[in-house]
Amino acid sequence: MTDVDFRQGAYPVSGPQTTNLADILERVLDKGIVIAGDIKIELLDIELLTIRLRLFVASVDTAKKAGIDWWETDPALSSRAARNVMQEENRLLRKRLEELESGAAEE
Amino acid sequence: MTERDPETSDADTIYVFAVCRDPDPSVLVGLSGVSDESPVAPLSLGALTAIVQRVRAGDFGEEAWEARLADSVELERYARGHHDVVSAVAAACPTVPLPMATLYRGAERARQALADEADRFHAVLGRIARHAEWGVKVYAAPGPRDDGNQEPAVPAASGDRSRPAPGAGLAYLNRKRGAQQRRERCQTEALRIAEVVDVEVSGLAAASRRLRPHAQPPGERRIQVLNATYLVAEHRAEELGVLTRALRERTGAQIELSGPWVPYSFVGEV
Repeated sequence: MTDVDFRQGAYPVSGPQTTNLADILERVLDKGIVIAGDIKIELLDIELLTIRLRLFVASVDTAKKAGIDWWETDPALSSRAARNVMQEENRLLRKRLEELESGAAEE
Repeated sequence: MTERDPETSDADTIYVFAVCRDPDPSVLVGLSGVSDESPVAPLSLGALTAIVQRVRAGDFGEEAWEARLADSVELERYARGHHDVVSAVAAACPTVPLPMATLYRGAERARQALADEADRFHAVLGRIARHAEWGVKVYAAPGPRDDGNQEPAVPAASGDRSRPAPGAGLAYLNRKRGAQQRRERCQTEALRIAEVVDVEVSGLAAASRRLRPHAQPPGERRIQVLNATYLVAEHRAEELGVLTRALRERTGAQIELSGPWVPYSFVGEV
């Protein structure tokens, strides 16, 4: 029995065959040499992403069956959700402003 | 490989996978990279060579990436596409992996920007030559179940369901406290083992790095208490395997070894 995922032949090799996505992500997303590209991609905080993704991968089928779609409304995972959060915040601020203004007008 | 040279259109976006020394172009054949539309190709930087792919700017802008990161299937596709190219190149020549989503506007820009960093690339290549990265994860044994609600309580006085037997509340609390203490002991012991493993593996590594332990996915009872990665010389890889087995036997802990990886985690700090 071998408990190590050795691949025979060329060395260094590509990594274990049973590479799980979280292991790859925590390496390819932010551990390479830092070279400024022309296009600035604001990749999410990798740890947050990895943790969420693991939950996501493990539960996506269950969640879909249950009609749960939290990832669509989670700002860290969805830019659309992030925009919705901003809109909601805007709406609340406007409401608060209106209240304050109307309060001030009454005095 | 001139007919589809990435230089032909500077209006395009260039995705860079890695920078390496003397690549064998044949290892790139059949790799799809991050796009189906153009091949993964070498781009000469002088003494070094970048491994690149021409991609559509629209597919690789910030918005496209945001959408991609929110979609686990897409994210996996791109991450594995990137990783596959890096791995294939690294298997054949000394290679510095670049992070996913390193992009330039046109081949000339890429060449210029990467050539400016040549000294850093050479330094990294020197550091990781004949070394590989190995991941080590240690798991705490599943803690004892919290049986407080499952064990039959002290049998209630028959016929009077509203009044529990004398002492039932105290027994319940004691059980709870006992389970909590056992859990804490397990965790403390697991963390101690994690430290032992880290110290011992570091002893044969050229460098080490602690990564954030992964969260416990649903259905997984084990708790990850160490997620570390080590830069290990090729000639010590076997020793690492032996050490890991010995540590497993000595500590009784579940220890997972993964690798060898292209040393992604050890190229950033030269």
